[in-house]
Amino acid sequence: MTQLKFNYKRLFASVLMLAIISCSNPWDDRLDNGDENLTVNLKEAIESRPEGSEFAQLLEQTGYDKVLEQSKTFTVFVPTNEAINQVDDAILNDPASLIAFIRNHITFTTYSSIREKQEERIKMFTNKYVTFKGSTTIDEATIVSPDNYAKNGVFHIIDKALTPKLNIWQFIKSQAGASGISDYLLSLKEFNIYKSDSIGKAVSETNGAGYLSDSLTNSYLKNVYNLNNENNLYTVFLMQNDGYNAEVNKLKPYLIKTSNDPSKDSTAIYSKYFTLRDMAFAKEYELNELPATLTSRFGVQIPVDKTQIVQQVRLSNGIVYIMKKVDVDLGKRLVTTKIEGESITSFSPSNLRSRVLFRDRVDASGIFFNDIRVQNPGVSLFTLNYNAKDLFSTTYKVYWKAYNDRSVVVSQKLRVGGSNVFLNGVMQGVIKEFAYMNVPANSYEELYLGEFTLAKAGNIDLISLIAGTSSTSELTLDYLRFVPQTK
Amino acid sequence: MITTIRTKKTKSIVSMVSAVILLFSLGSCQDYLDVEPEDKLSGEQMYRNVFDADAAVVGIYGKFMGLAEKYVILNEMRADLMTTTRNSSPALKELSNHNVSIANPYISPKDFYVVIQNCNDALANFDMMLAKKRFTQSQYDQRYADVACLRSWVYLQLGIHFGSVPYITEPINNLEDVKNISKYPRLPFDQLLDKLVTFTESLTYKDIYDTQSSLRITVDGYDTMKFFINKECLLGDLQLWKGNYLSAASHYKNVMESTPTSGANSYDYYRVRIPDVVNNDDLAVGYRRDYETDATSLVDSNTKGWRSIFARDRDIMWNTEWIWSLPFDSDFAPANPFIAIFSKTAGDYLAKPSQSAMDRWNSNTSRFGYPYDARGPKFTYKMVGTDPVIMKYIYKFEAAADQFKREGDWFLYRAAKLHLRYAEAANRDNQQKVAFAVLNQGLKETYTIYNPDGTIPTDVTNIQQTKLGFPYDFDARQGDAPNYRAPWHRSVGVRGRARLISVGAIGDDVITTENNIINEAALELAYEGNRWEDLVRIARRRNDPSYLANKIYDKLSKEGNAEADNVKAKLMNPANWYLPFNW
Repeated sequence: MTQLKFNYKRLFASVLMLAIISCSNPWDDRLDNGDENLTVNLKEAIESRPEGSEFAQLLEQTGYDKVLEQSKTFTVFVPTNEAINQVDDAILNDPASLIAFIRNHITFTTYSSIREKQEERIKMFTNKYVTFKGSTTIDEATIVSPDNYAKNGVFHIIDKALTPKLNIWQFIKSQAGASGISDYLLSLKEFNIYKSDSIGKAVSETNGAGYLSDSLTNSYLKNVYNLNNENNLYTVFLMQNDGYNAEVNKLKPYLIKTSNDPSKDSTAIYSKYFTLRDMAFAKEYELNELPATLTSRFGVQIPVDKTQIVQQVRLSNGIVYIMKKVDVDLGKRLVTTKIEGESITSFSPSNLRSRVLFRDRVDASGIFFNDIRVQNPGVSLFTLNYNAKDLFSTTYKVYWKAYNDRSVVVSQKLRVGGSNVFLNGVMQGVIKEFAYMNVPANSYEELYLGEFTLAKAGNIDLISLIAGTSSTSELTLDYLRFVPQTK
Repeated sequence: MITTIRTKKTKSIVSMVSAVILLFSLGSCQDYLDVEPEDKLSGEQMYRNVFDADAAVVGIYGKFMGLAEKYVILNEMRADLMTTTRNSSPALKELSNHNVSIANPYISPKDFYVVIQNCNDALANFDMMLAKKRFTQSQYDQRYADVACLRSWVYLQLGIHFGSVPYITEPINNLEDVKNISKYPRLPFDQLLDKLVTFTESLTYKDIYDTQSSLRITVDGYDTMKFFINKECLLGDLQLWKGNYLSAASHYKNVMESTPTSGANSYDYYRVRIPDVVNNDDLAVGYRRDYETDATSLVDSNTKGWRSIFARDRDIMWNTEWIWSLPFDSDFAPANPFIAIFSKTAGDYLAKPSQSAMDRWNSNTSRFGYPYDARGPKFTYKMVGTDPVIMKYIYKFEAAADQFKREGDWFLYRAAKLHLRYAEAANRDNQQKVAFAVLNQGLKETYTIYNPDGTIPTDVTNIQQTKLGFPYDFDARQGDAPNYRAPWHRSVGVRGRARLISVGAIGDDVITTENNIINEAALELAYEGNRWEDLVRIARRRNDPSYLANKIYDKLSKEGNAEADNVKAKLMNPANWYLPFNW
């Protein structure tokens, strides 16, 4: 019996021993690498840094300290107390601006100062981008203490606050009243440069903001570039009023229009539009990157005279250069209209589609081109119709290139203008009808047809290429070229 | 429990029992130790009858399909028609730049030996089955030949890519031994070819499975007939590599004269048929009738015209073109690897046509005046956005318009390839005119003796035929008075079907004609896994490494690759054509 008791004691002692030893659980220990940083979240980590205490306090004030406690992954750029002190009080005292200010310092996922990319645009919580360059520069701030980490992300301490910038369109809006250009561009919310602009505007109006892309609410944003878009980068030249007016006046003789509404000067409105549509470019050019000429998306070459730059404004989606003037050569401004032969709007007789051949060809120097050919039409006066947009009120010289590789003689004529209205058998609205001309066989030469003059600027809805009077008369066309002449 | 045992008696019983046990155990020692495992089947149990043999054959082809991706990538990415994209892995770029590292997953020959091991195992067991009379001699011959030819095909690929490889024809216990050079010495490519030719020619059965065979069935909607390797095509290829051109041409001609499958017309079967200009129910490049110069009237459809070769169902017309093709079906393994490689919208877009290849198509002139070969920019690849995308493999997938319907095919052998290979053999056998005809506008046109005014004589009795012996005997007569519809009257030639003007002329020398044939193979068969093989074969035959090196140089230099000159210099040494043998 004593023996048994003794054995119980020993058993008890060893069980106790085991229990004590197994208090530290090796399975749980595998996660513990002794890194204290990983035991705190970003909020706590930022609060523990004395140089960021002001920012930490702002986080708490806006409730974003709760966000930084979440188990997502963030990168936070924490401005030092000195940096916060330099921020405009107007921002810090206005709750809405303050939230935007805080949001512009936080982004999802971790961005270490050591990255593969030399330069990277980071989308902050404001949906605005800031540029992370190299390992130390974020926008205009410098990182003073990089790569501080906590369990849910990293933060960098920076010497300058990332106050959210306006984008280009917001900047233009902010200049309303002071800048003629701003006033004009904002007026294009009401005024439709093209008829089709009104559709988007009307739908946006009925459904409220945000229903359609904001680019549809303004004719400039729709037809040139959406300067309100934070995702892309642009360069815009904004002329001061004198230079702007001079440039608009240069264009007025070429954009003569009559207005439906006598209170509106259509000529002036369109002259302004055609002046300003060439002032925006879909790339951010730093001052030292600006080339001698830039080509707008409408094919106009704009000379860049750096001496005219008054101010360079950096914005969240690009750079605006305030210029005294941007003097564009009229010859460059009046762009040639080229109509491809295969870009027909219709043909007649409209039931003979099979006679219209869209061909792939190669010219004498081996360059590919597409053209159109009407072959064995079986009817006389087969007609191909085209249209042209945005023509100027001036004289145009007309050229065509047509390629005749068949043994048939091709004789065809061009009619500019026209309509389906006939008066005493005469078509109304014809601006110019050129004489029949032969297309020489197997020649790739461009031929001069003659010229026509437009009294009013605008579109020509009907331009027709007409075949001869025989039922075997064929047509061929590579392109038409209308070259506007300066007055 | 209390038991009383009489000790003495027990002792004597024990000794008697022991003696008996000893006696029995001595006699049955062998069988006693040879216990059959209850959870596994031994080879003998697996191969009990012809259906087990069929299962083995089908199983081998299943394994074989795992080689599809490697086959296409190795034969195209290393050659000049395919190149890498911005998405390509470093491994693919290494292949394209001919600078492979050992870790490159595409260059492991292991997968090839897995198939070979499967073949060897089945062949050994077929022998066992025949010995034990588990199937008939005829059943044995057909299955043995099929698996043996597949093994030869895999060895030919190994030779093309690795040069010297071990030639193993018996099942081995450990696949890793393949790498062991002392156990399995490596055979240089030349000797390997000798072995393959001798072995494959010695097979008694060279036809496809006969119509009575249990392997000629329809399974899951697929007719199995075109699943299996065509032995005559393989033999033609082996003899072509070997340089026995008459023999190669004979094998190819046998296939060209094959008996059609039911429903197909013998005039159309493997004969590269003339276009149907009225309805475009054909496999030709076609436009709307009488308005052929309208590019918008191009027949660009999964059911009509040249594109349908790769996209149509396995119907009667499909059967007239395809000799060997294995389908990938989303309902069965293995999965289709090609959508991921080629598709830009549904895949990873890892490979695209090279500039060199696009220039090649664009330097051709169609008979309707188009400054390009429509097979290239219109069918083989298309522009998706600004990127050229190889389309041959993804037409079916795109037509299904369903992410989960990833059907496609592994394109292995078709009539156009057969005709071009035949032309290559005929040309080397000094039959340039036959080669010219097959390559260009077909036999009828080439062998027509026109009237002085350019018309075809009414009586074609003595024209439109080669008047040569086998394998160059073609009768392509088509006349009404007297009436002829000879077997080859519908054959139109590879370029004729693509509606291109002829290249070369009758009377060209061997080299010019051969260059034209190989160039045509690039245009017609691009990305079907033939290009590297073609380049190596011709460069070896001519003993002219520059033939291959210049082609690769053209591809790399046109895309501005800084390594182009180095790669060219490297490839001027034939030893560098081959990949390191290791895994």
